[in-house]
Amino acid sequence: MTAMRVRACLWLLLAAGVAIACAAQFAVRPPLQTNLLALLPATERNSVAEDAVGRLADAAANRSVFLIGHRSPEVAAAAARGFAERLRDGETFRQVVADIPPLELKLLSALYLQHRYTLLADLDRSALAAGAADLENRLQRKLYAPFRFGLTLSPADDPFGLTDAWLAGLPLKSLKLEPENGLLVSRHGDRTWVFVSAELKGSAYENDVQIRTAQTVSGAEAGLRKNHPEAELLRTGTVFYAGAARAGAEADVDRIGAGSLLGMLLLLYLVFRSLRPLMLGLLSVGFGIGAAAAATVWVYGDMHLITLVFGASLIGEAIDYAVQYFAAHLGAGANWEPMAGLRRIAPGLAVALSTSLLGYGVLALAPFPALSQIGVFALTGLSAAWLSVFLLLPALLTRPSRRDPELAVAIPQRLLVWWQAHMSRRACVVLALVLIALSIPGWLQLQSNDDVHLLVSRPAALVAQEEQIRDLTGFGSSGLFFLVEGATPDAVLEHEERLTARLAALAAQGQITGFQSISSFVPSAARQAQNHALWRDQVFRDEPGLVELFSRAGLRDEVSTQQIAAFKASSGQPLTVEDWLRAPISAPLRHLWLGPTGNGHAAIVVPQGVRDLSRLTAAAAGLPGITAVDKAASVTRLFRDYRQWGALWLLGALCLVYSVLCVRYRWRQAAVVLAPTVLAMILALGVFGWLGTPLNLFNLMGLVLVLGVGVNYAIFLREGGVRAAATLAGVLLSAGTTMLSFGLLAFSSMPVLSSFGLTLLVGVSIAVLLAPTVLSFEAKAAA
Amino acid sequence: MRPLIAVCRLLLICASGCIGPFCAAQSNATDAPRSADALARIAAQIEQYPVIRAEFLQSKQMLAMKRPLVTSGRIVYTRSHGVLWQIEQPYRMSYLLGEDRIVEIGADGSRRERGLREVAGLAQIGRVFRAMLGADAAALREYFDVAVRGDAGKWEIDLKPREPQLAQVLTGLLLTGARFVETIQIGEVGGDSTQIRFRNTQGAAAPGETELQLFGPGPGKR
Repeated sequence: MTAMRVRACLWLLLAAGVAIACAAQFAVRPPLQTNLLALLPATERNSVAEDAVGRLADAAANRSVFLIGHRSPEVAAAAARGFAERLRDGETFRQVVADIPPLELKLLSALYLQHRYTLLADLDRSALAAGAADLENRLQRKLYAPFRFGLTLSPADDPFGLTDAWLAGLPLKSLKLEPENGLLVSRHGDRTWVFVSAELKGSAYENDVQIRTAQTVSGAEAGLRKNHPEAELLRTGTVFYAGAARAGAEADVDRIGAGSLLGMLLLLYLVFRSLRPLMLGLLSVGFGIGAAAAATVWVYGDMHLITLVFGASLIGEAIDYAVQYFAAHLGAGANWEPMAGLRRIAPGLAVALSTSLLGYGVLALAPFPALSQIGVFALTGLSAAWLSVFLLLPALLTRPSRRDPELAVAIPQRLLVWWQAHMSRRACVVLALVLIALSIPGWLQLQSNDDVHLLVSRPAALVAQEEQIRDLTGFGSSGLFFLVEGATPDAVLEHEERLTARLAALAAQGQITGFQSISSFVPSAARQAQNHALWRDQVFRDEPGLVELFSRAGLRDEVSTQQIAAFKASSGQPLTVEDWLRAPISAPLRHLWLGPTGNGHAAIVVPQGVRDLSRLTAAAAGLPGITAVDKAASVTRLFRDYRQWGALWLLGALCLVYSVLCVRYRWRQAAVVLAPTVLAMILALGVFGWLGTPLNLFNLMGLVLVLGVGVNYAIFLREGGVRAAATLAGVLLSAGTTMLSFGLLAFSSMPVLSSFGLTLLVGVSIAVLLAPTVLSFEAKAAA
Repeated sequence: MRPLIAVCRLLLICASGCIGPFCAAQSNATDAPRSADALARIAAQIEQYPVIRAEFLQSKQMLAMKRPLVTSGRIVYTRSHGVLWQIEQPYRMSYLLGEDRIVEIGADGSRRERGLREVAGLAQIGRVFRAMLGADAAALREYFDVAVRGDAGKWEIDLKPREPQLAQVLTGLLLTGARFVETIQIGEVGGDSTQIRFRNTQGAAAPGETELQLFGPGPGKR
């Protein structure tokens, strides 16, 4: 009695600790992680590349983009301005831009005019290098052109149009948008789309930011609908995806949590007809889930949505240990003695826990943050729930059960008796062979899917809008970029130039629409020196000739003297990346410069409008300092590799579970206990083939869990035996709650979890249905 | 309205010698409806010719030059192919303005082509151009405050850039004309200015063979 009290007190202490830890972690701000990138495994061998992926994502994360479309350009413009105004009123956004401030021409010329003698457009550089300066022609064209093409400097500053050509070549306009009437618009068919962009005040991954954004945007949308019923609104932005993921996860948690809990309580009541098991079950599960949450946040600093949703479905499994204890209580009838009951079921519970821990342990070791977090959560949760049975339940379940166990499971027991009478060992083997034969055609139809979007659920409506926005504006990229590294900033620029030369060729072939790179704005020192030499040799070599030329063309004398003086004064001082980064015009592209890294310096080149990724990566092959980084492709490759290794993993896990079983049952009976689960895994694969559900890595991981969880029911049956009707009640209850939880998980909004849930539902159901085979073999062995 | 269109188009190209977006400005043209009517009447008067040919004399006053720079030549506007601006004096050089490209044609026939989309800030020209084809006063007013004086027999159109971006380059445009556009004056912010005078303007039904050859094949001929 005292031992029971001590145990219960220990549980209370632990529970208090867990409660305090949870309160401390969740009270201030739920440490929920909605950043989808945080789920992805580190795939890049180069840590700078991994960092660059994060930098690019961060640069995009806090920006939201809207397009407001209407048949009439005027209405579209008015609607967009009104929409932007209402977005501003919400005070959710740091900045909302509809009307674009004019680009200050002075800012451009301020930066480039002083460096003009080290800059040349590509065409002019090759013309000058070939000796075809043709200065007189250039001067005439500059002076006599009836109109000005783009940004042009005065003839006094740029008599030959060489600097004009450099400025015209700057990729300042990377989107398909056109400035019009102060707004950025895109026209498509009979519609005019106006571009509005907004920058969030906080992180896109914060709950309150997501909620406030949703409120502000839907308010602004309502205003738009009211004032301009025919206007269309498209939106995209990380905050919408993160918000949708959170909303989906919360709905999942509500549905799975409430469904599992209600189902569990109902089943418990139906079997035990008493409220006490319900209360104790809730305490045990609550302690398990609480400890799991506390441990996960403690280990990872936050908890991902996926873990939260999975956690809700762990309820159905965590209750299993308590259920076994209740079943023992029911079976003992009037002879109940709490500690003796515990001792009787302890070995079975220990084996069941260790097989489950093995299954989830494999997950915890998986190289995916998403999976390992789930693993840690489940390991802690199941252990804590198991511990509750040992510490708490004996003290609270002292009075014997008054319910007749036979009554509780009359029908399933009759079924089992029938099974024992009719299902001989041979019948079981035949059944197994038939089932395997049936699943072979399914196996042959198995398809696979390694898409990165398995991890990242994206609502179809948002994806459709994003694609439309991408088509209309060119905003957004394929996800592929080039990491450019070098020992010095200038080496980075030189490496970039070699890459961009190839990219320009691809652009000319229409393989890409363009690219963003810093060397387009700042050539390397070597190239600038080459340019300066060309200016010196091809333009300023013959000073009297130049004076004569200018005079003949009718230019004032000051122009030639000023030109010559300015060239001499410039002395080829090159434009540096630092100069450019300081200039206001670099603001939209500064994130491309990564600056100093562990290996030197680095920058990013982003290709746009990519048609064929393989040609692009081929273009970068063999260039020094260039790494093509495609996070999505890397993750997909990793998924595929691990899926292909999955069979070996399964085999390894199988051996581990088998050896655990051998400790308790010896090798022959261990095989009997394991057989239904192995059969369930084989059949589950067949079912996926028959259903045409493509197999992914997470189905395989789900199978590892089927192994860990499904074997429990055979263990419980093996431990209790068919005559113990109460054991059967417990097994059926456990299976019911587990299948309910995982069944609900199969309908999760997250593809990973729905893969898990489906695999577990199918696998565990079959394992439960086949578990009675244990009895056939045991019965004969006993006889 | 063709020469008017052509000319306005040229002006817009001059004017949009700027990169990036224009800033918004509210229209404060109080006489907008009256201008629109007048514009529409002038447009209708010129609209009847698919092709219009004229001789031009252009005089540019530039601060960097000792004396005004004078060029002369011919302009051909076609509804179907775009505008051909042929300088004959002091040297031969032609410019072809299509819907989505600008082609420089040297005296030796060499062509240098640039897509309007490649040159920042130029693409809306084609759009304004189209809008003006339909004598769309609203489109003109997107870029300029428009004031029309006189009547369809003798008129003056005053265009003031509405957007700061345009105003960084251009102070204003003044067009005068009767049946066709006769003169254009362009004022630039730096103090430079340009006068263009048209003579012997004639309407025609279709472009000639040589003109068609110059317009050449290729995309976006309109």
